[in-house]
Amino acid sequence: MNIFKAWHLRDIITLALISIFFGVIYWVIIPLYNGLTIALTPIGLGPAANDILMGVWVMAGPLAGYMFRIAGSATLGELLGSVVEMFLGGQWGASTLISGIVQGIGSELGFTLTGYKLYNWFSLSLSVFTTTVVTFGWDMIRNGYNKYHIGLLLTLFLIRLVSTFFFSGVLVKLIMNLLEKSHILAPR
Amino acid sequence: MNPSIKMLLALLIAVEVSFTQSWSVNLILVLGSLIWLIAVKVAPRKIGLLFLVPILPAIAITISMYLWTDQSVHFILVLVTRIFAYVFVGSVATLTTTLQELILSLEQNAKLPSKFAYGFLGAFNLIPKIINEVAIIRSAGRMRNQTMHFWSPSLYFKAILASLNWSENLAEAMTSHGFVEDVRRTHYRIIHVPHHNYYEFGAILVVLQLLLFATPLP
Repeated sequence: MNIFKAWHLRDIITLALISIFFGVIYWVIIPLYNGLTIALTPIGLGPAANDILMGVWVMAGPLAGYMFRIAGSATLGELLGSVVEMFLGGQWGASTLISGIVQGIGSELGFTLTGYKLYNWFSLSLSVFTTTVVTFGWDMIRNGYNKYHIGLLLTLFLIRLVSTFFFSGVLVKLIMNLLEKSHILAPR
Repeated sequence: MNPSIKMLLALLIAVEVSFTQSWSVNLILVLGSLIWLIAVKVAPRKIGLLFLVPILPAIAITISMYLWTDQSVHFILVLVTRIFAYVFVGSVATLTTTLQELILSLEQNAKLPSKFAYGFLGAFNLIPKIINEVAIIRSAGRMRNQTMHFWSPSLYFKAILASLNWSENLAEAMTSHGFVEDVRRTHYRIIHVPHHNYYEFGAILVVLQLLLFATPLP
């Protein structure tokens, strides 16, 4: 298959290691997620904890897409992160893997839409937007978000968009700036 | 059951129950997975944890649906049992197989290119080291009076630096041990997919469809 040709052993290992780092960081903030859920549950906004932290869960995708600039890297990065989280004993079981695929495709779309040619604020923001839309659509089906009243639905969407923009947009760009300044990503 | 087949089965079931609206079938899946886990002698402590883990999200979603929607008890029950079904069905795939078995099986049975299989394996073997490295990065930061939060770019920057270093070493080590990309490999341990695995795979899916669409289960 052709899409595999662009990948070399070193890139594969780098991507896997970065995804594992992210997987470990996701796993470290699970207590925070649980704390937020407990705090928000009495007012019936427990699921909002997921929207608040969504940006963190999906970071690996845009970062991998931006860093490797190979078709499929965003999906693969996110998928590997979720595999690690699942085997480390994250709380969601198989659905972690499905979320990983959904999130990966979401962030991939942003780069696909620019033809894998543009790597700047615009493509990153586009990726943030597609990630938010795709993952939100998935939660409408899976977690029954489509049954919420429109006001709450919009609020949850906005929370998720802001969170994704902060973590997968601003933070990823800051990380990329650090990497570019260090000249460590010189062409291999 | 072959790890690749098992993973595919768990994924298909999880995707399907995401769209269906039957709490009793969700419960049957939980029960079936539970029997499977007990039959292959998974540690009781791990099984017990599976009951505890989904409780918080389940309570959260129940209260949220109750307060913010006008949905029936049936719908809420579907969402709650769905969470449990995800966790239990997924555990049949993860608790009964190691990551290594899964990757080797994906290489031999699911045509995953071997550079990915061995690249992943090499990287996944570093998981304990990576957990350690995250702790080191954070304490090194604290020594300089910098607290690394999960929103600090430098935490990720340092993690990526470590990844680049290690991947260089690992890739060179593999190459020097004779690993060549895109070349057909032979295998010392050949992983077969026994024929009955296909029948079991098909049978489980057929029974699930029958339960979902041919019986009046709520």
